[in-house]
Amino acid sequence: MANVAKKVSWSGRDRDDDEDGRAGETTPLLNGTGPGAAGSARQLTPSSFLRIGQLSNVDLNEDIHELETELPRQRPNEIPHNEKLLSLKYESLDYDNSENQLFLEEERRINHAAFRTVEIKRWVICAMIGILTGLVACFIDIVVENLAGLKYRVVKDNIDKFTAKGGLSFSLLLWATLNASVVMVGSVIVAFIEPVAAGSGIPQIKCYLNGVKIPHVVRLKTLVIKVCGVILSVVGGLAVGKEGPMIHSGSVIAAGISQGRSTSLKRDFKIFEYFRRDTEKRDFVSAGAAAGVSAAFGAPVGGVLFSLEEGASFWNQFLTWRIFFASMISTFTLNSVLSVYHGNAWDLSSPGLINFGRFDSEKMEYTIQEIPIFIFMGVVGGILGALFNALNYWLTMFRIRYIHRPCLQVVEAMLVAAVTATVGFVMIYYSRDCQPIQGSSVAYPLQLFCADGEYNSMATAFFNTPEKSVVNLFHDPPGSYNPMTLGMFTLVYFFLACWTYGLTVSAGVFIPSLLIGAAWGRLFGISLSYLTKGSIWADPGKYALMGAAAQLGGIVRMTLSLTVIMMEATGNVTYGFPIMLVLMTAKIVGDYFVEGLYDMHIQLQSVPFLHWEAPVTSHSLTAREVMSTPVTCLRRIERVGTVVDILSDTSSNHNGFPVVESNPDTTQVAGLRGLILRSQLIVLLKHKVFVERANLNLVQRRLKLKDFRDAYPRFPPIQSIHVSQDERECMIDLSEFMNPSPYTVPQEASLPRVFKLFRALGLRHLVVVDNRNEVVGMVTRKDLARYRLGKEGLEELSLAQT
Amino acid sequence: ALELAQELAEELWGAGLPGDLPELEPECRSLLAAFAEGSAALTGCLGRRARPVRLCQGCHGHYRRLLAQYGSITRAVGNSSESHNCAKSILTSDRLQIVVTLSEFFNETWEAANCANCLKNNSEGLSNSTEEFLDLFNRSLICFEHNLQGQAIDLSPSNYTEVCKNCNETYTMLNDLYNHLQRMNRQGGESGHSAHLCIDVEDAMNITRKLWSRTFNCSLPCSDTVPVIAVSSFILFLPIVFYLSSFLHSKQKKRILILPKRIQSNASLVNIQEKYS
Repeated sequence: MANVAKKVSWSGRDRDDDEDGRAGETTPLLNGTGPGAAGSARQLTPSSFLRIGQLSNVDLNEDIHELETELPRQRPNEIPHNEKLLSLKYESLDYDNSENQLFLEEERRINHAAFRTVEIKRWVICAMIGILTGLVACFIDIVVENLAGLKYRVVKDNIDKFTAKGGLSFSLLLWATLNASVVMVGSVIVAFIEPVAAGSGIPQIKCYLNGVKIPHVVRLKTLVIKVCGVILSVVGGLAVGKEGPMIHSGSVIAAGISQGRSTSLKRDFKIFEYFRRDTEKRDFVSAGAAAGVSAAFGAPVGGVLFSLEEGASFWNQFLTWRIFFASMISTFTLNSVLSVYHGNAWDLSSPGLINFGRFDSEKMEYTIQEIPIFIFMGVVGGILGALFNALNYWLTMFRIRYIHRPCLQVVEAMLVAAVTATVGFVMIYYSRDCQPIQGSSVAYPLQLFCADGEYNSMATAFFNTPEKSVVNLFHDPPGSYNPMTLGMFTLVYFFLACWTYGLTVSAGVFIPSLLIGAAWGRLFGISLSYLTKGSIWADPGKYALMGAAAQLGGIVRMTLSLTVIMMEATGNVTYGFPIMLVLMTAKIVGDYFVEGLYDMHIQLQSVPFLHWEAPVTSHSLTAREVMSTPVTCLRRIERVGTVVDILSDTSSNHNGFPVVESNPDTTQVAGLRGLILRSQLIVLLKHKVFVERANLNLVQRRLKLKDFRDAYPRFPPIQSIHVSQDERECMIDLSEFMNPSPYTVPQEASLPRVFKLFRALGLRHLVVVDNRNEVVGMVTRKDLARYRLGKEGLEELSLAQT
Repeated sequence: ALELAQELAEELWGAGLPGDLPELEPECRSLLAAFAEGSAALTGCLGRRARPVRLCQGCHGHYRRLLAQYGSITRAVGNSSESHNCAKSILTSDRLQIVVTLSEFFNETWEAANCANCLKNNSEGLSNSTEEFLDLFNRSLICFEHNLQGQAIDLSPSNYTEVCKNCNETYTMLNDLYNHLQRMNRQGGESGHSAHLCIDVEDAMNITRKLWSRTFNCSLPCSDTVPVIAVSSFILFLPIVFYLSSFLHSKQKKRILILPKRIQSNASLVNIQEKYS
């Protein structure tokens, strides 16, 4: 009888089967097609347990081969992309420290004082994250302001010239071409250099904090592309904002600083080496995300709560305090630098990229009888948000399926830019809503067909950066917009924003949502004051704010953090209550139809995202049914050749391998001894830590934890490591490097239980063992994420190569 | 008021109170009287010149004098004792502080009107550019009047072509000068003024513009609707072509399904299906 420790190849299978009396019964069990498998789903005899344990050590490659030949569906099964897939591209982060001997030795060496320096370093890093995030935000703000100003001045002069002489179609062409060419540059750098920089980056950071390793997401190159891309897409006049991407930028900065080096630039500053692992990096990334939110909206508490909301399963009090510190530093840096830039140093009047302006005048106060009206606005926001998301869902699906080539993506972005300009121009052209110019409240007053000394009020909404338009809608005195203008604007901008989100440009959805909401909210306020014959309490600016909150809540469905962000951005605590009610209503109504935009995009990207809890109806599933099996195991002292073969097997790109007892000849059952990661194995192979070499005193020094850290986070692929034929015959001793105490669950554990363990501890591999501590299966993120609560109940997603 | 104060003083004297009564020193009293007269004059000036706005041109002298009077109050020190100087007794010895309030009101009005913008740096008289502007403004008004008189017989409102033709040059010059002034003002924004020009200039320009484009209907921009519609519909048509062609010609991206390695995938499916029913 074979045991777990025995490494059996396909050629040796016959002998193995001969030794085993129940060969005929077990093979179909593995495939899951035989009657034995279906019949004995619940009541497994000890022998069949054992059998699974035996099969777990069959070489995996051969195993899959065997599976495929026996199944009718032999060819790889191709299906069009849909939302019920999990991509193999995404892996988990190792949030669980590998407590191997090296780690324990190092921790033992570090004394109390050294831990204190580590703690101080953490604070220093958080301060640096805050400062740099603030500076990046300043850079974006200043460059956007100048470039957009230049563009609008050029177009305005052109329009003014042609209004008198005729030939406005040239102005239209100029505007469209300018927009399209700027967006083209922005889209080219994203599509061809770093596609992960597309979009707002919030879904990606959400995934990262959830524990999914999105390739390239926290690289320096991504930051550069993101920043340039945001600038170009805002200057290009798309219906986008620069706030969402700040969160991504902050995260990249955090990840970069905390590692004390840049692999992209090949510079290692030899600092902060203690933090070179996923656990520490994730903590700093959450601080960076918070700093980004704080710089974007001038909302430090909102930033902390954003990190809390998105990554709360790994949280502690000290970390929160540090994150708050980073947030505060970030908004303060932005504030002071921008104040100096605007010429009134020490004034500290611009805490965020977007300022909602002051909401503390008397007419902005609300009364109790307005609260039902606000709730009604929340309902409207929820419905409109759901509509937005549903439309964007179809569009994104179409984009994934048909517009996947980079050049097509660039062309699409250019078309959207040109159409945005055209639509804006046509709206301005046909608008007859003229308002007298009052001082300098309008940045680029466009006269067009208005009388001298007046400006076109549609132009303040379209012929401006979206941030400015939002603020105008909040604060322009009543009567600045006529209802017709607002209605048309809302309608057009809704579709433009929906069309724009998901393009291959880096841009956020916060500001367009706020703008749509502010427009219909103001419209709502105006109609309300018509209905009530001009009561003083119906100030349209207040309703614009509530509409903006409702619309944003209906689209992104954030709750706590969004409330606080809005509250901080308005600088008025008394608005907290109505904003909370509005966001709650919008979320409840919106969730009734479709899910939030970010969750939707995460799902469409086939990311194995773990939600807060396991699906509610999953209690009947056990670890047995969830786990993957058979598992590729390694012996404690393993032949190098076998390790290399397993690692270079392209069909099974496993990252964690259970280590089992290594007495190859005995027929005794050998239990689980530990868990070793692919990255560790690669470092071992690279340094050629072989038993034979150690015996011959060829090894210069003992491998230290530093060697593993130096390779982090980009471990070389196995192909780059050369192992000679002689070396293949050497043995490698894993006992020093493996994690001797991996988390395990018995086969009978229910899915919610497994899920809780996995989610709360941020695990990457969870070994399923039987009552003899033999490896039966392995639960990874994808095994858990594939169960999802769909419309009709529990659904199972399929794995796919993307 | 003075008599009342004296009466009060006498009453207090009669009641046997100490002699240093709340009576103003003669110097202080004269200062106060001067301030009162100055503010009355300024108020009158402001009121008379409210429409059409001529505040800065007409009242800057009054304002300057009032400023000087207020300044002499704040600086004046009564000669009797340190504790009884004029500034203290006039400005801060009661709850109402009417002199301060008045002075603040005038200052705020002056600031809001932005008069400093069209006065010379030492506030003596109008600045050169303002003079130039007002001159041009008067010329345009004269031009309007002149041309309107000629056709006052037929009063059909659309028949102002004569005015438009004849005064176009003056109007354009005026408009250009105004825009130039505005731009200059915005560039020199750090000098402390806001982006506004002074109220006289702004109001004059507003009147002229309203006359020109509303009453006379002179600024008729040529609208070229046809080319705009053509170009915009062309651009709006492009995405439809793009999406249709990529739908028809681009190869749909397929995902390759990977078979999970699991035991009893049937059993778990059964499990799920049970829950469906």
